[in-house]
Amino acid sequence: MTKTYEELVTELRDVVRQLEDDRTGLDECIQLYERGAILVRLCEELLTTAEMKICELGRD
Amino acid sequence: MDRAQRSLFSEEWGSDPEPDEPGPAAPRRHVLEVGELAAIIDDLLLDERLIECFVRGEVTNFRRHASGHCYFSLSEERDGENAVIPCVIWRRDAQRLRHGLEDGQTVIAFGSVAHYAAGGRYQFYVREAEQAGIGEKFIQVERWRCDLGAEGCFQEFRKKDLPRYPARIGVVTSPTGAVLHDIVNVLTRRFPVELVLSPTAVQGDGAELEIAAAIRRIDGRVDVIIVARGGGAFEDLYAFNHPEVVRAVVACTTPIVSAVGHEVDVTLCDLAADLRAPTPSAAAELVAPDRAVLLEELRQARRHLADLLHDRWERADDEVRELRDRLRPGRLAFRIDRRREELAELDGRLARGRDRALERRRSELSGLAAVVRARSPFAPLARGYALVERNGSLVRAAGVLEQGALVTARFGRGRARLRVEEVCDDEDV
Repeated sequence: MTKTYEELVTELRDVVRQLEDDRTGLDECIQLYERGAILVRLCEELLTTAEMKICELGRD
Repeated sequence: MDRAQRSLFSEEWGSDPEPDEPGPAAPRRHVLEVGELAAIIDDLLLDERLIECFVRGEVTNFRRHASGHCYFSLSEERDGENAVIPCVIWRRDAQRLRHGLEDGQTVIAFGSVAHYAAGGRYQFYVREAEQAGIGEKFIQVERWRCDLGAEGCFQEFRKKDLPRYPARIGVVTSPTGAVLHDIVNVLTRRFPVELVLSPTAVQGDGAELEIAAAIRRIDGRVDVIIVARGGGAFEDLYAFNHPEVVRAVVACTTPIVSAVGHEVDVTLCDLAADLRAPTPSAAAELVAPDRAVLLEELRQARRHLADLLHDRWERADDEVRELRDRLRPGRLAFRIDRRREELAELDGRLARGRDRALERRRSELSGLAAVVRARSPFAPLARGYALVERNGSLVRAAGVLEQGALVTARFGRGRARLRVEEVCDDEDV
């Protein structure tokens, strides 16, 4: 199940917020950073590879 | 002379009115200034029936002044009776008219009646005017606006926020025509997503039913809906004012952006939608974020992440360095030395305390000894006196002795055995 851009960006914001928190441990920070970097890349991929798909609902 | 025919300005004028003839037509004695009279007329015309009302009539005597203001009359002939009202339409309102006015047209005009004191006439000040057939539709739309407004269809508080990153965008519009094309173009450029078209006729008989059905059909299947139609005359956009469409928009659970006609056209569908866009292209821009902006934001996010991690690492490094400093052996030795010093100092204080206590007792003792010495029965002996004893008893008077008696004398230091040579009993010391 691929995530939507919205979900990815929401998670990325959460990662940044935790990373900004001084109470977060160093180990956790490194993991958060790695996760954040992946999220950024996934978001960029979604944006650059997105293509317009058009479909039409049938009328009644 | 009949009183009614008498000139008001005959000599009776100004004299006391006859008390038995006060009738309603009796002239008042107060003379109004023209301005006062005009003010009364102004006041009388402040009647809500004359303010912001619609009037149907035939345009006559239309003339456009060089200033841009237009003057004409609206007239009606019925049963051989002619009624005319002079009209003014100011330049700004005249410019906004969708159709130019000309003599012979039957129009419906919207405006207010007011008194033009400087010209001594009342006029109908027209703000809007439409040809009668279209005018009826305008009035119908106004009625719908009131009714639907009363139903709460245009209330801001029930308007929904648009999703920030829609993955599926629904479009309710004509499957042919430039509108869909424009929307696809904008979305392709900004943020390509899945677009779902819910096709419908956008004008003509029954279009309102089709539009409403198209909205209901797509509701819930997409993240956001654009209801759009290109520019057109008021009659062309009419279906988007219809309560069928407005109620479908209000009932829709998916956020709706409405873009009907050009920016100057505001339909009831626009008012009911969660957001109004001036054009279909603008609606597409409002709905989809710009991918270039998002990519830049992602680049910034990546930099921010790296900065945050680096800062955190530096803080950890500082912490370790500080702890290492605090653990240095030198620091420990220093602490031991300090303890030692403390100990030595305490030791010194202990010794000093002990010495002081001894000294105090010593001086106390020598004081006591001096007192004891001063009180000693032998003390005077040191000053040269002597005690005389005989058989262990003190001799206090010479009379108890006889010549040749043996006595002992005690001196300040030592004693001696003495033999009495002579006794003189009669002398006091």
